[in-house]
Amino acid sequence: MLDINNKKLIKNGYRITNKRQITALRIRVPGGSLDVKYFDIIKDIAQKYGNGKVHITTRQGFEIPGIPMAKISEINEIIHPILIGMESEIGVSIHNPKTGYPAAGTRNISACIGNNVCPFANYNTTELSKKIEKLIYPHDFHVKIALTGCPNDCIKAHMQDIGVIGMVLPMYDSNRCIGCQACVKNCQKVATGALTIVNYKVKRDHLRCIGCGECILKCPVLAWTRGEKYYRMVVMGRTGKKNPRIAQTFMEWVDETAILKVIENLYHYIDQFIDRSLPKEHVGYIVDRTGIQVFKDYVLKDVYIGSLSKIANYMSFSGYGHEKSNYF
Amino acid sequence: MGYSFNISTFNNVLRELSADYIIYAPVKIFNKGVFSDTDLVTYGQIKTLEDIEFEEKSHFSSKEIFFPITQTLFYFTEDAFSLPKISPKKIIIFCRPCDANGIQRLDQIFLKNGDLMDNYYNELRKKVHLFVLECKYSFDTCFCVSMGANKVDRYSAFIRRAGDTVLCDVSVDFEDRFSKYGTYVNMTPVFIESNDIKVDIPEKIPKSIFYHKLWDEYSERCIACGRCNVVCPTCSCFTMQDIFYEDNPYCGERRRVWASCMIDGFTDMAGGNSFRKNKGERMRFRLLHKIHDFKQKFGSNHHMCVGCGRCSDVCPENISFTACIQKLNQAVQSSDQRGLKS
Amino acid sequence: MNNPYLPVKAKIINVKPQTEIDYTFRLETAIKVASGQFFEVSIPNVGEAPISVSDFGDDWIEMTIRNVGKLTNVIHKLKPGSHLFIRGPYGNGFPIQQMSDKDLIIAVGGTGLAPVKSILSQYCKKTIHLKSLTLLTGFKSPADILFREEIEEWRKEFCVELTVDKDDTKNWTGNIGLITGLISKVSISDITNTQVITVGPPIMMKFSVIEFLNRKIAKENIWVSFERKMCCGIGKCGHCKIDNTYICLDGPVFNYYVAQNLID
Repeated sequence: MLDINNKKLIKNGYRITNKRQITALRIRVPGGSLDVKYFDIIKDIAQKYGNGKVHITTRQGFEIPGIPMAKISEINEIIHPILIGMESEIGVSIHNPKTGYPAAGTRNISACIGNNVCPFANYNTTELSKKIEKLIYPHDFHVKIALTGCPNDCIKAHMQDIGVIGMVLPMYDSNRCIGCQACVKNCQKVATGALTIVNYKVKRDHLRCIGCGECILKCPVLAWTRGEKYYRMVVMGRTGKKNPRIAQTFMEWVDETAILKVIENLYHYIDQFIDRSLPKEHVGYIVDRTGIQVFKDYVLKDVYIGSLSKIANYMSFSGYGHEKSNYF
Repeated sequence: MGYSFNISTFNNVLRELSADYIIYAPVKIFNKGVFSDTDLVTYGQIKTLEDIEFEEKSHFSSKEIFFPITQTLFYFTEDAFSLPKISPKKIIIFCRPCDANGIQRLDQIFLKNGDLMDNYYNELRKKVHLFVLECKYSFDTCFCVSMGANKVDRYSAFIRRAGDTVLCDVSVDFEDRFSKYGTYVNMTPVFIESNDIKVDIPEKIPKSIFYHKLWDEYSERCIACGRCNVVCPTCSCFTMQDIFYEDNPYCGERRRVWASCMIDGFTDMAGGNSFRKNKGERMRFRLLHKIHDFKQKFGSNHHMCVGCGRCSDVCPENISFTACIQKLNQAVQSSDQRGLKS
Repeated sequence: MNNPYLPVKAKIINVKPQTEIDYTFRLETAIKVASGQFFEVSIPNVGEAPISVSDFGDDWIEMTIRNVGKLTNVIHKLKPGSHLFIRGPYGNGFPIQQMSDKDLIIAVGGTGLAPVKSILSQYCKKTIHLKSLTLLTGFKSPADILFREEIEEWRKEFCVELTVDKDDTKNWTGNIGLITGLISKVSISDITNTQVITVGPPIMMKFSVIEFLNRKIAKENIWVSFERKMCCGIGKCGHCKIDNTYICLDGPVFNYYVAQNLID
């Protein structure tokens, strides 16, 4: 029997399974966008070392099950083009691509298909995924990040530690408006009812507006057009046995730089406050311990807050626990 | 008279013209497309040749330049009306032959339908001088040849860009400005002579076609958004709006704003009567207006539609105007008129 | 330059309520009008709408206006001495000349009485000459009857048949039933010399025409008046267009021979 260091194996992107000596490899696919040329590698590993199957993970990676642990180093050699193409080439520093994934704590960044394809998306989720991947990988801290193009939140950013939702500032040219009210009716129906008609022209209530861009999509005359891109960040959503809950808005109408900086700062915060006596501590529980104000102080360090940007003063997490002792 | 320019000599002409003219042309506006990270091609003011988008069809026609989407007719204070000022500058529009022909169609409605001339239209329209851009190729939804709108014989200048060379056929009015910077050449305008799409327009449309089932599918497909109307170079309908200033409700203005026969409310009257509630009926109304009624009404030798294909380009439900014309033609041609509803 | 969109101010010299929601406004103006024509009437900052002339004299016109919307709601609050803004008259009126020395039957429903009222007044004043005049007029209920006093005057001059669709008052002694009932019974003595005008809601006009055709009146002898949304009145705005016909320019009065082919 092989002598296996479970911790090292897990950190290398493999999994302890319900069969001794048999593992599963997880391929990271930042932003869920993969060049099909890598399919050949994944297919070869599954057929030659695994059970011929691949599992598509909830975080948009590939998991190749049924691999003998004895073959790990061989497989790590085979997957090195994926590490180079998907990680090194986007700026992630991989010390030795031939020894497999250097960390598994920070999970794959998942993303909806974004504005490459989807008409609703307000930004290129694939590109932002890569920028974030470069910033946070490799890292052992258990953090889940997902990017979604618009507030429809198809990627379920609300179930993540950090969820990034695309926004756009709608620009209104009243001279172009024909008063058809397509935007007003639609906003009422599918969004937040931020638009009203006054004197045959449209008024937008910025406090109600979520920057989804629906008005732009519905306007036949382009009276509404795209202004600057903005983002909303929702934080500390999670699944799990203990206290699952939906993420809450931490900031909105912020730019990409602010998003990247907050994510970078989050790792300093975790480093400062993580309970190292535990095998691992998920960031959400750290925030539960420190309180949101401490979290806020850390993650907002050196973050440029634009004139439109709003930061939550208070966040009320819902979710549920099974017994009060979770909290006291 | 033909003249040849390089980019910089042509820009000299534009610079001189801009003293007396506001110059519009199709331009590409970065990131102003409807979808994120897409560009918009539309008419905008230009300064140089490089500003002009030669390769793509503009989303909107040029009509908004002289038939503004929102136009103030007059301002009113408690007891008096006053008229809005308009710029003393004249207007040059670089446009393709279809748009140039579209302007003739609008002239018919605003200047020649009924005894009274639309003075607001006329005032802007008479400032307009057309610099027609040569179409190098037909776009995939164009059917200008079928509509006889592929050619223009009256223009102030006809422009062909070939790489860094600009060739112009110039009318007498603009001869001075062009001859100053250009070198004399022979230049014969070339027009598109065939499109991928050809349509046959039925000459006579029997009333029975109004009740044909061919319109039914549009009741299901059309979402009454009006994009087809607003991008059309020949749609001329408008609605009046009286607005008051929020600070002083006794002062305000009367405006006219583009209207769309496809959008709900076009025929609504106070008291509750309205017509063409089905979108299929609206489709029939719009289509026949473009390829039948106008010609019938004015006895002209052309239809209203100029075959620019923009209505097909912009329809979010992928309704093809030309496919609908074909269906109509088939229905008219089939002598037994199968498909008539009882 | 001549600006057809600029309205002129016209003083309201009398307001006469006809029903709870129909008021007749008399405006001081020297503009010459023909029966069946309309004006674009407006209150700046509220809006503009086409309204038919219900009667006119040398220096006045009357319009009977139903309170059914934003503009008419404001108009109804106006008192004598205040002003309306008007431009027009627009459209073709009824071809009264063609009707002289003929039998004229007018069948109208509800506010459809307004556009023909001036024909009735002129007949009484003997400024138009007809062989005979018959008015068939229908209202929804007794409370909706317009021009009550005038109707009593008219009865002295020509045959007036009035019906209501239904009576909630229980003390109505007149006809109850649709106007088509009156049409089926009206006496027609010289069918080739009988002219018919019918005005009212679309559905009422449709069935009235059918009834007159049943009575063997030729299509060429039937005249109808259309009501459509209009924003200009001068053939530009497109709202009133039906096929190649602009109601504002070619109508609102049409011979039925033409009108039968106008499909919205």
